[in-house]
Amino acid sequence: MTQPARILLVDDEVAIQRSLGPLLRARGYTVDVSGTGRDALRLFEERTPDLVVLDLGLPDIEGTEVCRRVRAISKAPIIVLSARGADTDKVNALDLGADDYVTKPFSPDELLARIRVALRRLSRDEQDGPTGVLRAGELTIDYDRRRVLREDVEIRLTPKEFDLLSLLAQNHDRVLTHRTILKAVWGPNAVEQPEHLWTLIALLRKKIEPDPARPRYLLSEPWVGYRFAVE
Amino acid sequence: MLDTRRSRPSRRISMRDIFRFRPADFWWLAAGIGAIALTTLVYSTWLPVANPATVSTTFLMLVLVVAASASLGAAVVVSLVSVLCFNYFFLPPVGTFTIADPQNWVAFVAFLTVSLVASNLSARVRSREREALSRRDELARLFDLSRDVLMVTDSSEAISLMARSIARRFDLAFVAIALPHATDWDVFAGGTQKIELDQHQLWSTFAAAQASLEFDASSRTYSGHRTVPSDGQEVTLVPLRSATRPIGVLAAAGRTIEPGTLDALAGIGAIAVERAQFLDERKAAELTRQSEQLKAALLASLGHDLRTPLTAIRIAATNVRDTAMSDEERMDQTSLILAEVERLTRLFQNILEMARLDAGAVAAEARWSHPSEIIEAAESQVEEALKHHRLNVRIEADMPIELDPRLAAAAIAHVLENAAQYAPDGSNIDLTAFVGSDGLVFQIQDYGPGIAPNDLPHVFERFYRGDAAQSRTSGTGMGLWIARGLLAVQSGRIWVENTADAGARFTVVIPVSTKGTVTVAGSSGTQTT
Repeated sequence: MTQPARILLVDDEVAIQRSLGPLLRARGYTVDVSGTGRDALRLFEERTPDLVVLDLGLPDIEGTEVCRRVRAISKAPIIVLSARGADTDKVNALDLGADDYVTKPFSPDELLARIRVALRRLSRDEQDGPTGVLRAGELTIDYDRRRVLREDVEIRLTPKEFDLLSLLAQNHDRVLTHRTILKAVWGPNAVEQPEHLWTLIALLRKKIEPDPARPRYLLSEPWVGYRFAVE
Repeated sequence: MLDTRRSRPSRRISMRDIFRFRPADFWWLAAGIGAIALTTLVYSTWLPVANPATVSTTFLMLVLVVAASASLGAAVVVSLVSVLCFNYFFLPPVGTFTIADPQNWVAFVAFLTVSLVASNLSARVRSREREALSRRDELARLFDLSRDVLMVTDSSEAISLMARSIARRFDLAFVAIALPHATDWDVFAGGTQKIELDQHQLWSTFAAAQASLEFDASSRTYSGHRTVPSDGQEVTLVPLRSATRPIGVLAAAGRTIEPGTLDALAGIGAIAVERAQFLDERKAAELTRQSEQLKAALLASLGHDLRTPLTAIRIAATNVRDTAMSDEERMDQTSLILAEVERLTRLFQNILEMARLDAGAVAAEARWSHPSEIIEAAESQVEEALKHHRLNVRIEADMPIELDPRLAAAAIAHVLENAAQYAPDGSNIDLTAFVGSDGLVFQIQDYGPGIAPNDLPHVFERFYRGDAAQSRTSGTGMGLWIARGLLAVQSGRIWVENTADAGARFTVVIPVSTKGTVTVAGSSGTQTT
């Protein structure tokens, strides 16, 4: 990616537009700003941004709906700006294809870090292509052979553990909601039984994390879901 | 059943009432005896009659007349007098109380019997009538009392009021409604007398009522009535029952009331107590609900209105610190920070004002001022918010007025701010001040979209924001509520209407004292010194 990444900022608060715009531009991104959902969708098709920063409280269309429509036509990462207390909206947005979220009032560094990670994932996936192998720190995950190595030592995983790990790793640096994970690993009937997930995550952390008490790969997003961090 | 109920009290009452002489009875007695004397005189001197039957019929007629009008006692006395006269003057041997002919004995006894029975019957009919009258009277009183119950409101004052109504409607010197309250009694008394009730007696009456619920057919009451001496008075205690459960005790003294009526009275009292308690509970529940709602609304509003400025300030400050930017950009970020701080300040002030209004801590301090002074103060408070609108001020009231100018200005500032929020940038806002018949009037007319008809009744409710406003950027739903609260402190009013060709028009009316002239010292704003 030689060209600077193009970011579409969608928020109806002028104050946020006026402060976030300069923040992102100063980091070298090209920024388009929109105050309504309709305008945002039009801009998205016109400018094909690399990433969308989306506030969920929009005056015309629901932010979650914007999420769904963007995801239907593009794989561009979506980072949701959400209000504390609007957990349901946040989770819905993630289920509908958003990649990550920050809660207002967020720190600028936090948002910038999320944007960097999301853009890097995008470029990495483009470079790597369908190699069937993911390297993250000391971990190597070989999807085809269903093997996991840490510093060239194989870690033995049960089939369920591998399913969970590969799901998170394939969507690395994205937040997957509990619901999404449960549905993918255990099937649609298990979505109301998060205890499966807690148990399995604990087992998996014991096997792959250098320090299971302070996870480095399998990060928990409290009350929302989990994310696999590559770096 | 109906018959026994009717006859019982009449028997009880007759023995007491029949031999009681009222003044009228003495007149009837005298008239009866006089008439007998006259008849005796007429028959024995001017109109001698041979047949005693004629005499006895005449006497009987007189006895019946007395019996029909006076008490039984008078009738009996008249009967006896007539019997003696009959015997002495007309039954042979005349001039003695002896009777020779056995036939005349029969006539004498028959006469005595008929006159006594007739007197008794007639007296009984009249006592029945009197009883019916008093019953009708008590029914009317109960009826009035039941209407009083409907006026019971939701306070303990209401129960006192009820006790007073019972005392008044039933001419009782003392009435008290006593309600058990953990370990002692709440006594709500009415009537002209004051009697200290013995708590032990209240408890024992209450306990007895809890223990049994028997209907006493002979006295037509439910069990539990007692008459006890209290403070040197005979006080009747009647359990108040709601359904079958006793909820208190009714105490009455000063006049004898029929137990059945007293029972009905206690029933109505119980209904009143229950109603007052029910209304109390409903009010408390309503208050709790409102306060819960308020808390939720406040939290939601705060959450939304704090989050955005805080985020913007944080990011803009980071931009100024970290980023190399032109002076112009730096200015822009700095002014953004200041504007957002201003917004937070305004929010903070609103919350503070709201809390002060809630706590009743806002008081009007009336002083002399001038309409232009108030408008200038209001304008300066919302300068920032009105930056994008044109405010046209027309003051048609050029005289000193007495009111609290600070509160008035603050209220108008809130209305102006509201207008600026909803009318599009660049539009006009007209502010007119004039003195109307009810006081000083301010009209704030905007040229925005107006207010949706279904929002109109609610715009002054706290945290209410119209559907269209929900998604708008600014606005907390506090401003108009505060404006109304500030105005209410000085008996002012505010209302809103949509004008046909423009947006919304808010009208503020504040009752004021005016002065025809501007010569009074101390009136600020108009005097040039």
